[in-house]
Amino acid sequence: MTTQDIFNAVLAFDEATVITLTQAELDGGTDIDAILNDGLISAMDEVGERFSSGELFVPEMLMAAQAMKAGLAILKPHLSAGQSQSKGVVIIGTVKGDLHDIGKNLVSMMMEGAGFEVVDLGVDVESEAFVKTAAEKSANVIALSALLTTTMPSMESTVKAVKEAGMATRTIIGGAPVTQAFADQIGADGYSADAPGAVKLVKQLVA
Amino acid sequence: MMVDRMQTFTTDQITRIHDASMELLSSVGVAFNEPEALEIFASNGFRVDGKTVFMTDTQVQKALETAPSRFTVTARNPEKSVAVGEDDFVFVPGYGAPFITLPDGSQREATMADYDNFCKLVQTSKTIDMNGFMMVEPGDVSPETAHLDMMFSSIVLCDKPFMGSPVSKQGARDCVEMATILWGGKDKLAATGPVSVSLINSLSPLQFSDEMAGSLIELARANQACVIASLIMAGSSGPVTLAGVLALQNAEILAGITLAQLVNPGAPVIYGSTSSAMDMRTGGLAIGCPELSMVVSATAQMARFYKLPSRSGGGLTDAHCPDGQAAGESALALSTAARNGINFILHSAGILGSYIAMSFEKFLMDEEMCGIVRKLIKPIDFSEEAIDVQMIKTVGIGGQYLTQPKTFKLCRTEFYMTDFFNRQNHAGWKAAGSKRIDQVATERLSQRLAAYEKPPIDPDVETALSSYIAKRKKIS
Repeated sequence: MTTQDIFNAVLAFDEATVITLTQAELDGGTDIDAILNDGLISAMDEVGERFSSGELFVPEMLMAAQAMKAGLAILKPHLSAGQSQSKGVVIIGTVKGDLHDIGKNLVSMMMEGAGFEVVDLGVDVESEAFVKTAAEKSANVIALSALLTTTMPSMESTVKAVKEAGMATRTIIGGAPVTQAFADQIGADGYSADAPGAVKLVKQLVA
Repeated sequence: MMVDRMQTFTTDQITRIHDASMELLSSVGVAFNEPEALEIFASNGFRVDGKTVFMTDTQVQKALETAPSRFTVTARNPEKSVAVGEDDFVFVPGYGAPFITLPDGSQREATMADYDNFCKLVQTSKTIDMNGFMMVEPGDVSPETAHLDMMFSSIVLCDKPFMGSPVSKQGARDCVEMATILWGGKDKLAATGPVSVSLINSLSPLQFSDEMAGSLIELARANQACVIASLIMAGSSGPVTLAGVLALQNAEILAGITLAQLVNPGAPVIYGSTSSAMDMRTGGLAIGCPELSMVVSATAQMARFYKLPSRSGGGLTDAHCPDGQAAGESALALSTAARNGINFILHSAGILGSYIAMSFEKFLMDEEMCGIVRKLIKPIDFSEEAIDVQMIKTVGIGGQYLTQPKTFKLCRTEFYMTDFFNRQNHAGWKAAGSKRIDQVATERLSQRLAAYEKPPIDPDVETALSSYIAKRKKIS
């Protein structure tokens, strides 16, 4: 039994086995960092690549992410303060006035799967809520979603609010009508056309 | 027995969907994020818990009894009024796209000038029966008042019936106010009946946003027609199986129709859906897929069960330029809608890329398909005059019909003549420049816009409409 088995169980979407194996590795004294990085996180990196290449479908990717999170939950109480619990903190939400959340949820789940701590503020989120939560959590990135052109101005006001608060937190945006040009125009730090792209973008921004 | 290989539902199958929807409405309920909607339901004896409204079969059936199965939408030019319901149907242009696709396949932000040009194309169209709303979402006008600019253009540049503005409670009021100005007062508008059709969408699963519920209340109160539509992404905002999608969307649509009938018994409503599948590889919405057309057929059948007019999409595609995929997918959905008895065929022309863009070239190609589909479903005449055995006897064995008087008489009218789709042989096509149909469409576009003439409108009415929107913009 090795961390490779945990890796394999995540790729087999087998949550129960991930839980059993993670607990067993932990009880057996395997280094927690090895379980986390070689088992769980590297499995999700592989899942991300297989999804991007079209090999995995969305529900399969999400099932793998759930299995990974179940393993992570077992490790969490044993992680010391020095050990990185996550690759970074992402605050995500659909902006003020917009209630659409399918794309946002997809990005949220993929980011969790990639090892980020994600705080999902839901839909119809005020600029102040993004700023406040990002400050509380010392977030690396704020990710904003919108499906309506009428709510895209809320992205602009949120990005502005983050800048005015003098925070180092980076902002990224996405959603069907959103473009790179719009991101540039409102001064957002990044844009992605799809969920895997958003994960790659956040990885670059926190690197 | 009529044979069409698309599935005709049995009464048992339809009843199963109905029963499943009723179970959802009575046990899970539907959330309305609009206080006035909750008050209306509560005061009519519906169980309301927080924002969730529960409905019984009896309550829904009572509402359905007052909903008309057919109604007329009156145009400012009475010759262009249309009927929606039973055997009557309308082709209506695309809706909601933020971008314009250019002939090279690139996209740019849509503008108010684009919106006006679509109004002009609708006005000069032989096949598009009604003007739209938000045919593109113009990026160069203020989003708070864009609906006023669009309504003004819809009314002034075109004299066909128009779609209303369901962007908010105030947006719906603006639609009613502008219609009141156009018809010369509240009493005259009331006597005319519905003059607009607005698009109310549920927020799946099982919710209505404040904008949509608020607009529905305002428009139903003013007796303006509303499409109540569900747009479920199967596998994401609804079940992965189509029967499950039908049960869920039916619950949402019936909940919206019930609200409209409580506000104004007899308010004209349309049973609508544009539910489709999520592409499981990308997570994106797929509307060129066969599942969309299967839902179109199912929606028409469910609406007939409730004796209501129906709405679906028309020329829908996931392609990003007016290519073979775009033409094939669009023709499939458009013909499925018309053949299965949909009464309000939205998105009949122009849509590309899963609703993200409108294309002028695609609009002209779809428009031609609308003409073709309308001919396709026209019944064959079985009169003696049409069979004309005498003529066949006269020509006899091995003769020809080209020189028969009847052929001469009907040669310009009997067959559907393509507007600009190619019928030339290869030599002729080559001599004309070997152009693809989308390239021909680009050339046609400038001719069409040049040929446009603004339909006459009382200058005082136009001024009153301008003043109204100027006043409203000051407040906003």
